[in-house]
Amino acid sequence: MDSLPLGLYVHLPWCERKCPYCDFNSHETAQIPEQGYISQLLKDLEREAAALGDREVSTLFIGGGTPSLFSGEAITALMGGIAARLPLAATLEATMEANPGSAEADKFAAFHAAGVNRLSIGVQSFQDAQLQALGRVHDSDSAHRAIDAAKAAGFTRFNIDLMHGLPEQNDNQAKQDLHTAMELGAPHISWYQLTLEPNTVFYTSPPALPDENLLADIQDVGEALLAEGGYQQYEVSAYGRVGDRCKHNINYWSFGDYIGIGAGAHGKLTSHDGGVRRYSKTRKPDDYLSDSGFKRVGEKVLNAAELPGEFMMNALRLNTGFEIADFTARTGLEWSAVAETVEQQIARGLLEQSGNTIRASAVGRRFLDTLIAEFLVEP
Amino acid sequence: MSDLQHIRNFSIIAHIDHGKSTLADRFIQHCGGLSDREMDEQVLDSMDIERERGITIKAQSVTLDYKAKDGQTYQLNFIDTPGHVDFSYEVSRSLSACEGALLVVDAGQGVEAQSVANCYTAIEQGLEVLPILNKMDLPQADPDRVKQEIEEIIGIDANEACPVSAKSGMGIEDALEYLVENIPPPEGDRDAPLQALIIDSWFDNYLGVVSLVRVTQGTLNKRDKIMAKSTGKVHQVDSVGIFTPKRLEKPSLAAGEVGFVVAGIKDIHGAPVGDTLVHANQQEVPALPGFQQVKPQVYAGIFTISSDDYEDFRDALGKLTLNDASLFYEPETSDALGFGFRCGFLGMLHMEIIQERLEREYDLDLITTAPTVIYEVVTKLGDTLRVDNPSALPDSGEIDEMREPIARCNILVPQDYLGNVITLCVEKRGVQKDMQFLGSQVSVVYDIPMAEVVLDFFDRLKSVSRGYASLDYSFERFESASLQKMDVLINGEKVDALAVIVHRDQVQYRGRALTEKMKELIPRQMFDVAIQAAVGSKIVARQTVKALRKNVTAKCYGGDVTRKKKLLEKQKAGKKRMKQVGRVEIPQSAFLAVLKVDG
Repeated sequence: MDSLPLGLYVHLPWCERKCPYCDFNSHETAQIPEQGYISQLLKDLEREAAALGDREVSTLFIGGGTPSLFSGEAITALMGGIAARLPLAATLEATMEANPGSAEADKFAAFHAAGVNRLSIGVQSFQDAQLQALGRVHDSDSAHRAIDAAKAAGFTRFNIDLMHGLPEQNDNQAKQDLHTAMELGAPHISWYQLTLEPNTVFYTSPPALPDENLLADIQDVGEALLAEGGYQQYEVSAYGRVGDRCKHNINYWSFGDYIGIGAGAHGKLTSHDGGVRRYSKTRKPDDYLSDSGFKRVGEKVLNAAELPGEFMMNALRLNTGFEIADFTARTGLEWSAVAETVEQQIARGLLEQSGNTIRASAVGRRFLDTLIAEFLVEP
Repeated sequence: MSDLQHIRNFSIIAHIDHGKSTLADRFIQHCGGLSDREMDEQVLDSMDIERERGITIKAQSVTLDYKAKDGQTYQLNFIDTPGHVDFSYEVSRSLSACEGALLVVDAGQGVEAQSVANCYTAIEQGLEVLPILNKMDLPQADPDRVKQEIEEIIGIDANEACPVSAKSGMGIEDALEYLVENIPPPEGDRDAPLQALIIDSWFDNYLGVVSLVRVTQGTLNKRDKIMAKSTGKVHQVDSVGIFTPKRLEKPSLAAGEVGFVVAGIKDIHGAPVGDTLVHANQQEVPALPGFQQVKPQVYAGIFTISSDDYEDFRDALGKLTLNDASLFYEPETSDALGFGFRCGFLGMLHMEIIQERLEREYDLDLITTAPTVIYEVVTKLGDTLRVDNPSALPDSGEIDEMREPIARCNILVPQDYLGNVITLCVEKRGVQKDMQFLGSQVSVVYDIPMAEVVLDFFDRLKSVSRGYASLDYSFERFESASLQKMDVLINGEKVDALAVIVHRDQVQYRGRALTEKMKELIPRQMFDVAIQAAVGSKIVARQTVKALRKNVTAKCYGGDVTRKKKLLEKQKAGKKRMKQVGRVEIPQSAFLAVLKVDG
């Protein structure tokens, strides 16, 4: 479907140290095989691009891992390589994830020069005790310096990633982190509740987290504070004014298309006949680096029964919800596939409709998992 | 056909875990009943549940040829007996088919009440009881103490008790010799008219009802016309034979022998356990004594979570009753749970087994309501009703008198735990009937309301005695009692399936314990859930399950929703196992909360 927006996700899977809460595809390493990996990424991209015709890429996201561990030269080579293989929109949003360590901050200018125009800085907290509890390698000072460096390097669009519901955190501490981020003039704040994910250190030996009530209190005071500061919530955990919002993520949440390259990257593409296809790339960096390691694995076409659930899992995360026409265009299903469930959830007070727009109500946003489950099929 | 002198019919009496099945396996192995390759562990417990729980539910038999040291070959018929207090009638029928019994006692743990009760039944029926000390390979084995216990508690000579280890195989041949020498051969005139005891019956999809029988006199031949005395119905015998343990057809079974008979009977009630088979042309032959129609002791409603499964559920119950004459069921309708069945069971274990089999073998999601005993209610009009369902209890204004069933409980406990056990019995409204010190153990007899016994008495007894006390009980009588119906309200609505009958003195405590337990079991929802216990219009206890404040996945990384989706799908599947009552989702476990209340 040529009309669907298209994003490109690039995964750089290495970290200096694996964080105990992180379940992403990231691997500790002493030495990153930069050149080999970049050249493999570009082969991967070439293969993907061949099937896309001349569809223009409107957003690019370089995630990880810790992409900012890569050198300026490597990122320059990557950006150049991408531009040579795909048509990029003139208004391309090119985001890169960065760690607020001093070594990384030194490279921000080089990244900007390479064409990266948005940074997402993984601050998580501005309080040293909490950074330590999270097993982060940086401290609060280096977070401040990294944000200064981002501004100095010319980044007018950047995000500060913060987590809340941290071990032994109270609502004041959570507010304090938000205050600091706002004072520093972050155009965009991602504010996530820490979740214990399977296959992480925290999952097997859980830290003492705030109880359910305190978590809900933190959520309430945080949302109010962000709104006061002019940070509009547009997704469960994302806050920013219209122009400052992350277009790449909005594309995911609107059930748009994206290519995924790099170890463990995921892609989703809608074909001309309306079929929605998901695929991924092999997870382990060493496997990905082998000769044909960049081939798609686990490719599957979503069936009619699972499409509504997949769509709602994404679209209902956005405060603006979705247009009925977008549901039919992006899933290839008739509206009748979900109309009855939608009506029931409106009656239950979890969804609301105005004109042709459907969105989660205020209560629905609080109970989004309960709401989404109504659209899922049982395994 | 073996002559009577070379037949030995015996069963094994043992407490759960004392090693009955392992010993039986060793006997089969020693006599070559199965090759090593065929020798699946514990072959006699053929149902999965029996094997998992280590108990025998159905009686079975095996015929073995044993070449003894005297050079003669003996036909040994081992009749396996159910090993749980719920199945004591079946045990008594199995025992009456034998001339002897091996009392298998764990040489470390000593004698337990279940074995004592079965031993007394065996001795009453004139069986030779031979003590076997098992688990002699374990360091805690204390044969002298256990021998003394056997003599003091059961009152049989234990001097010659045979030491074995069924696990290691030690002493197996000695045990077989001991058995052949000491158990008397059967008696019975083979030329007399046929008389055979039905030890057990079960339904086979291909053969119909298969009955395990002991021929007491005469001969049972293929193609004979036979009649079951209690039904008066005549059937033609299709086949007879023995289990080796494989089914082996024979031309006939003669007096003294044990084997199976298949006679085209389609319904298990056509060949009830304990009934007598005779030849159709010799109907005057008397029935063997001891036959009883089995009566359920415990009743509970069983409902499907999804009403779509009702038909499947009914079919499944029909199939289970083919094989289980003691399972009773009739349709029941509940306002809260819809259409289901009121089922009667021999006891709690029987109930658990049935629910487990329905869920496992028939893939049904079920809700079982709190089990109840049968109450006798005398109305103001002078009628006596039998009530097996709290929601069917008449209004208190119409009741003149309520009577509850009392169980006679025989408890055997080491002296150290006697105090705890007495405290427990008093708490359960028990009245002491007898107490005797037998060596280091004490035999105490209490009359306790059946409702208290079936609830959690056995578990509590085990926990207050560190597992050492054991229990045997039987229905004794109905007795007038001050009982009330306690309703449970969820968000102000009475849920009929949660009602229980409680003693007036226990209303406060039960109400509080029940609502507290339900609070633990009902998951938090989008709104507060109020749980109230009430007698009439009076609220006696209240708990609130506070509303969840949010339920949302914080980070859903758009690139890969697969895992989050699986998680939500799994949660949804889990929710489907809950019953929606009004707006409230109630898990299966909450309907049985009354059983899980801590003492």
